[in-house]
Amino acid sequence: MWKFSVRRTLIMIPQLIVLSILIFVLGQLMPGDALSGQVGPDVDPARLDEIREQMGWNDPWHEQYARWMGGVLQGDLGESFRFKMPVTELIGQRIVNSFWLSVATLILTYIIAIPLGITSGRFNDTWRDQLITGYSYVGFATPLFIFALVMLWLFGFTLGWFPTSGSVTPGLEPGTFEYVMSKLYHLLLPAISMALITTYSTIQYLRNEIVDTKQKDFIITARAKGASETRVYNRHILRNSLLPIAAFLGFEITGLIGGSIFIENIFGYPGMGQLLVESISLRDYTVLTAVTLLFGIASILGALLSDIILSIVDPRIRIK
Amino acid sequence: MENKVKEEKANQPNKSPSGFSIIWRELVRDKLALISLFFLLGIIAFVFGIAFVLDQDEIVKVDLFSIYEPPGEEFVLGTDYGGRDVFGQLIIGTRNSLTIALLVTLLTGIIGVAYGVISGYFGGQIDNIMMRILDFFMILPFTMIVIAFVAIVPKYNTITFSLIMTAFLWMGIARLIRSKALQEKELDYIQASKTLGSSNFKIIFTQLLPNCSSLIIVTMTLNLAANIGLESGLSFLGFGFPESTPSLGTLLSYATNPQTLEYRWWIWVPASIMILLLMLSVNNVGQALKRATDARQRRG
Amino acid sequence: MSYLEVKDLKVHFPIKGGIFGRTVDHIKAVDGVSISLEKGKTYGLVGESGSGKSTTGRAIIGLNNITSGKVIFDGTDITNIKRTKSEATKNIQMIFQDPYSSLNPKKRVVDIISEPLRNFENLTRKEERKRVQELLELVGLSPESILKYPHEFSGGQRQRIGIARAIALKPKLIIADEPVSALDVSVQAQVLNFMKEIQKELDLTYLFISHDLGVIKHMCDDIGIMYKGRYVEEGTAEDIFLNPQHIYTKRLVAAIPDIDPNKREAKRKFREEVKTEYDQSYNDYFDEEGLAYKLQPVSETHLVALPEKG
Repeated sequence: MWKFSVRRTLIMIPQLIVLSILIFVLGQLMPGDALSGQVGPDVDPARLDEIREQMGWNDPWHEQYARWMGGVLQGDLGESFRFKMPVTELIGQRIVNSFWLSVATLILTYIIAIPLGITSGRFNDTWRDQLITGYSYVGFATPLFIFALVMLWLFGFTLGWFPTSGSVTPGLEPGTFEYVMSKLYHLLLPAISMALITTYSTIQYLRNEIVDTKQKDFIITARAKGASETRVYNRHILRNSLLPIAAFLGFEITGLIGGSIFIENIFGYPGMGQLLVESISLRDYTVLTAVTLLFGIASILGALLSDIILSIVDPRIRIK
Repeated sequence: MENKVKEEKANQPNKSPSGFSIIWRELVRDKLALISLFFLLGIIAFVFGIAFVLDQDEIVKVDLFSIYEPPGEEFVLGTDYGGRDVFGQLIIGTRNSLTIALLVTLLTGIIGVAYGVISGYFGGQIDNIMMRILDFFMILPFTMIVIAFVAIVPKYNTITFSLIMTAFLWMGIARLIRSKALQEKELDYIQASKTLGSSNFKIIFTQLLPNCSSLIIVTMTLNLAANIGLESGLSFLGFGFPESTPSLGTLLSYATNPQTLEYRWWIWVPASIMILLLMLSVNNVGQALKRATDARQRRG
Repeated sequence: MSYLEVKDLKVHFPIKGGIFGRTVDHIKAVDGVSISLEKGKTYGLVGESGSGKSTTGRAIIGLNNITSGKVIFDGTDITNIKRTKSEATKNIQMIFQDPYSSLNPKKRVVDIISEPLRNFENLTRKEERKRVQELLELVGLSPESILKYPHEFSGGQRQRIGIARAIALKPKLIIADEPVSALDVSVQAQVLNFMKEIQKELDLTYLFISHDLGVIKHMCDDIGIMYKGRYVEEGTAEDIFLNPQHIYTKRLVAAIPDIDPNKREAKRKFREEVKTEYDQSYNDYFDEEGLAYKLQPVSETHLVALPEKG
């Protein structure tokens, strides 16, 4: 077990390095630099060159990369020249918002998907199964952003059950009960919208897994010994089928990031996904590189987590 | 004389049905898939036919006297905030979305199949390294990385857009083809080809690929559906086609304006329905193909 | 000098392990095998599954890399050479064990059989078709079936297609890797007799790999017995069947069933005796790792793996 984990963690190091270089190069390729937006046209170009020299922007790329990485490792992601504040500070609140949105989405996804998957697998090829499979198939074929728009239009505007933008009602004191409830209220609709659409893989996985396990000899033996149907499911089938689902959690992160970019923009929810899009339209490239880097690292860590959990759950993975 | 008769007879021996005709038979049997297929072909013919007559520049021209017209006699589906005909944009948008989805599907198909076949067929150290690279691409969140690239590309147009999408979408099919190639190359017919003096290149093209063909077709069909969604999603966020080249996503992006979302359904609902229908029908065809190529799931 | 000469052939596969996936050990699939085969003869390679007999055959034709040793065919060294477009490929062909997986399911018979022709001979489409039809006739199949797919044939017919493909280039040596073990017993004899016929007709040399001593007895002039990658005994068919020296060979020979029902009881007794002897003297015939010793000559043609005396 530990051998696989160590090997898998070692693989992550080059992944992180490649990611950081990729994003650094991306940052270098972006048109203009932090000065071009800040100074007026009357500043002497020679003076600009002087500043550039001082800031080290004319150094060879590897020195600049080393300096940038050094900063990142110390938690310094640079300065946003639009918002006029350190990127770390700017990201702080947003990342918390995105985190809670993701957690809510994951919880809702599992609350919806697991019972449906189990029902679908247990009563496979009945009307219940067909109904559930139909739902998950339509969810699979519907793009998230269209579904989210419809949800916003229906429950946000037409019915007015949910707020249509923001992450909290303005004017509430942080830490109070009302504040927390307001936060929860604001992230409910976005989270439900995303969860309803992303259940497909979990439902289908569980269904196939249960249908497969059902016919295995050890289940037939358990039944033959007189175990009740409920006991067969709880003790034997579910234990085998549910564990891998926990392991897929890490892989979900990549999907959640993609989803949050759409969801946060549609619901006007101030998180990292919205910041990413904002930073591009404002041409704030320091923020863009920082957000991209953080998203990338989150995905890599998620994959690592999943692989390690999977190797514990399913020993066959280790022989790779 | 006798020889000639014999030869002629041998030239028209009882020809057996090829793999594709079996697949076709299965598809025809699946009513939903068949309807989907006809719907798709109809839409394609209609959209490309009409778009040929319509003038894109005329449609995207701003007309300040007819802003936000509801559907009526002059404009079948009303107009948007620039007074532009929504119906025309819908037609051209469908054409543009389909074109780019097809292009990206084709490009990712070619790259993915080549990558997967090389990795799986040669195996060993080559496979190891190629899979490490693939894993890395696989982990990157697609939407984020495409947005970042779209933001920095200096000469941004349809071609660069498809190339960026392709660069981060080839991995799924590559992985599938690789595991198929890994399985197939252990079979004796590949080994036999080696002993018969065929080069690796020849074995890949004439022996291995024909046996991957059904997998390739199924995967590419399902990818096409996904790509329609991805393209319109990116355009929706504003990182797809420029506004002068409407896509289905562009029409939907007008709905980020709450006023439009709430009161002007004619701008975004038709485009949403179009995307849904396109994706559902392509998926239906893909699923039917999948069943047809998998002998265990065949319906008859 | 014999026609095919294999000298001290070794094929080792690495075992990867540890954190960095380094090679930690080797599986010695073939460990020092020497064969010499006369033109026009059939040499039988016998052993249980995993004994390395198939790997030996595949290494000779170039499907497995040779770790060390030499393969000399008709005076030329063909060890680990590039096979595409080489004379050795033309002269050495192979018949595969599984007639189901050895024919590409997506190809028509004409394309399957003409694959070697397309690699080595520049024929027009018409000539090619004619050659394929001749070959089909030669192996006893209807020339009209050239546009059929493999799945439309029975196992025995498929194996004939495989043979037609192998002889298309008029090879001199054919390596037959368990050519009948996937077939029904009733079809086995047909295919074997047919292989004997074309051997005479085309002056072929066979390296015949099998686990079935009955089949080997029927086909082979010389026989080598393999166990865990090494030879335990080698000799003419007579040496092996009438005068087996190694305890492993004795047990194999004793296991051949006899058709005569009257001898059944005697046979069973004999088998039990051999088994007792095998269990008792196992340590005399194999070293501490359970591998065979070096071969020692007992007669002109007969070699047995025995511990060195003294």
